[in-house]
Amino acid sequence: MGYKTKALFLSASTIVSATMASVGLPAVAFAQEATFVLSAREVGAPSYNPIKATRLNAGNTFIYDRMVIQDADQSFHGQLATSWESSADGMSWTFKLRPNVKFHDGEPFNAKTIEWWVPKFAGTENAFMTDSIAKVEIVDDLTVKFVMKNPDPNMLFNMASTFMGVPSPKAYDALGDKYGVTGAVGTGPFKLESFVVGQQTVLVRNEAYNSASKLSANQGPAKIKKLTLREIAEDSTAFLELKTGGVDMLLSVPTDFLPKLQAEKGTKVITLPGTEVFYIPMNTSVAPFTDIKVREATAFAINQKEILTNLFGGVGAEANNFLISSLLEAKVDPKLNISYDPARSKKLLDDAGWTVGAGGIRAKGGVPLQVKLWTQNGTEFKRITEVVQAQLKAVGIGADITIFDAATITAQYKKLNEHQLAVRSYSWGNADILDWFFSGKRLGHPNHSMWNDPKAEELNLKAMKGSRTWDERVANFKAYHEYVLSQFVFAPIYQPVQNFAYSEARLSVPATIRGTRLQGQTIVDIEKK
Amino acid sequence: MTTLASTEFASSTLGKVLLSPRGGLSALCLAIVIICAVFAPLVSPYQYDIQNLPLANREPSWAHWMGTDEFGRDLLSRIIHGARTSLTVAVVAIGISVAIGMSLGAAAGYFGGLFDRLVTAAVDLSWSFPEILIALILIAIVGPGLGSTMIAIGIAYLAQFTRLTRAQVMALKNETYIEATKNLGAGHFHIIFRHLLPNALPPVIVAGMLATGNAIILEATLGFFGLGAQPPTPSWGGMMSSGTAQIFIAPWIIIFPGLAIAITVIAINLFGDAIIEALDIRNRLRDA
Repeated sequence: MGYKTKALFLSASTIVSATMASVGLPAVAFAQEATFVLSAREVGAPSYNPIKATRLNAGNTFIYDRMVIQDADQSFHGQLATSWESSADGMSWTFKLRPNVKFHDGEPFNAKTIEWWVPKFAGTENAFMTDSIAKVEIVDDLTVKFVMKNPDPNMLFNMASTFMGVPSPKAYDALGDKYGVTGAVGTGPFKLESFVVGQQTVLVRNEAYNSASKLSANQGPAKIKKLTLREIAEDSTAFLELKTGGVDMLLSVPTDFLPKLQAEKGTKVITLPGTEVFYIPMNTSVAPFTDIKVREATAFAINQKEILTNLFGGVGAEANNFLISSLLEAKVDPKLNISYDPARSKKLLDDAGWTVGAGGIRAKGGVPLQVKLWTQNGTEFKRITEVVQAQLKAVGIGADITIFDAATITAQYKKLNEHQLAVRSYSWGNADILDWFFSGKRLGHPNHSMWNDPKAEELNLKAMKGSRTWDERVANFKAYHEYVLSQFVFAPIYQPVQNFAYSEARLSVPATIRGTRLQGQTIVDIEKK
Repeated sequence: MTTLASTEFASSTLGKVLLSPRGGLSALCLAIVIICAVFAPLVSPYQYDIQNLPLANREPSWAHWMGTDEFGRDLLSRIIHGARTSLTVAVVAIGISVAIGMSLGAAAGYFGGLFDRLVTAAVDLSWSFPEILIALILIAIVGPGLGSTMIAIGIAYLAQFTRLTRAQVMALKNETYIEATKNLGAGHFHIIFRHLLPNALPPVIVAGMLATGNAIILEATLGFFGLGAQPPTPSWGGMMSSGTAQIFIAPWIIIFPGLAIAITVIAINLFGDAIIEALDIRNRLRDA
């Protein structure tokens, strides 16, 4: 291409660009598009099927509305339901539904939807959230009554769960097993345009959106027209993308990057109370963790304070039991909390017959105390795991680390007896997470501890189904939690806070984030500058 | 006497390699890396796996010449031990490739026929995939770890040695001395291992040398993905991978292992070039 041709081409391009910019078309289109990066822990979530999935990313709450949502002060607010009431004996719940709501495929949302939706949970991993409902009765087109098998004081929390997004019955039934992967249809502020697992999700604005809750200032369609959710496992890459303008918001910021981001001009960091706990499940069905003394020794070998101070700069909190500390069920008998005690750990191993051998690794009958320590991709997981490996070695437990991607590790857990220790985290704001991870009904995954104890099952049943009031439920779950702690089936590590970061130059975000997390109710208020 | 010995050394292949500027310099670099790898526990100032979290991410100083990593471990000690990991993986993997590749290539070239077509088809098929893809598939099957990395890299580089040896053997098997050996009643095994392979060896040595550099890069790549040596065993790729998370806080964690990889691979390539020149192998390779 000669100089004259190049000059002509450039001039023409410039004129065309300037003309288009002056009429404003591309400027508007670009201004309404935004790109967010999902949390590294959500990378690889395989589906947007809220009924069947056990892992969902934040985009789920952008596609689906729930009956109710929970605010940061733990109060509940209507989204697809406008009001609700429970009978005096707790044996029925009546929900009034929002009128004139349509799914993204044009289908109406009404009482028939709920009658179809609730039974769909039967037989799925998420069935525990609707187990207490015997049947759904249609009172009128916009009123449903849940007839209960037993009182469920946790009903509203369950209805507010991210797994309680209501899908379109027509689309759900039509897509079958492909639902959530090739298509996902809700009533939420965004429609799913495309989804590539592990890479990105493209959402477009639902122009007909009219079911925002009171937690959103904007009661109409979202301000952002097109939203891309990218999945980036490496925190530094995500940080670089934000810094260089490749993305507008990070839905999770590791504590390491906080000082750097806070010092970054034009970048704003928001911090919310955490709902996450890092912990180590111990496979109680394989040696040496069949021995409670070895489990107890492992739990007391973990130096939570060292991890909090040195890996996370003191941001967050030590985890000393299984639940986030804001829950009442976390206030257990202090004697049962698990805190670093290397002397106790070493004594327990001595008592169990594991004596210090070559290289500081203990052995018993010539067999070294060498165990498998699994973790998954992601900076925080890998860092915590390496520190845990060193802390275990300090008391004489050798640990071989294996790093898996999120999908593979779940498949490995399902083999039941392949794993011994793992560094994991969960994010949940309710004590029923104890049922999820320690119920004998879910051995392997998500009961990675493979714990199947009759007394625990009894306490679990009482907590899950035998509580008539909220206070009774708290007491029952506290008793279950205390028993879980006394059996040392896991070791607690760390409770992070939730950090988000966005470009102030490119986004306008509400000063106060309503809800327990940054979800759909906030996204509708976010505007591209 | 000394002058005669010096002249002999200078005219020998090794002399030609070591006395050339790039050969000498690269040999010096490689010697340092090999000494570090072999005597790692003796030459490293600290234990590579001892964490000291309060000293995490310290910049280079007199106490820690290359600084410390995110766990407060001495980076220089980890790079020295990382040399052991990288070289062991590369040398064993290429050893596997050379041993299996030469045997297959020699048999295919010598016997020809259906066996040759099968080997050639398999080699051509694997040749069409990038080495990293083959290695990733194999590790996905076997599982991550040092042993599986060696096997994966070994198999990934198998094709080039098979092809090279086959071509050499096909060119050599019609030589008069091979015909003479056959007429004297020598068996196939004797002909292949006593006469053909020794003559096919020089180009394979050079190719092996150059492949070792590539194998180090492949090992580092797999380590970067967390598929190579598992923590706390240091590998240069794994160190770079963990360094990416600290790039804005402690850039030295990623820079020094990167430099180690670059210097080692450049040295291996320069040394390989020097050997090629000394043996005049380009012409032989072209003929083959």
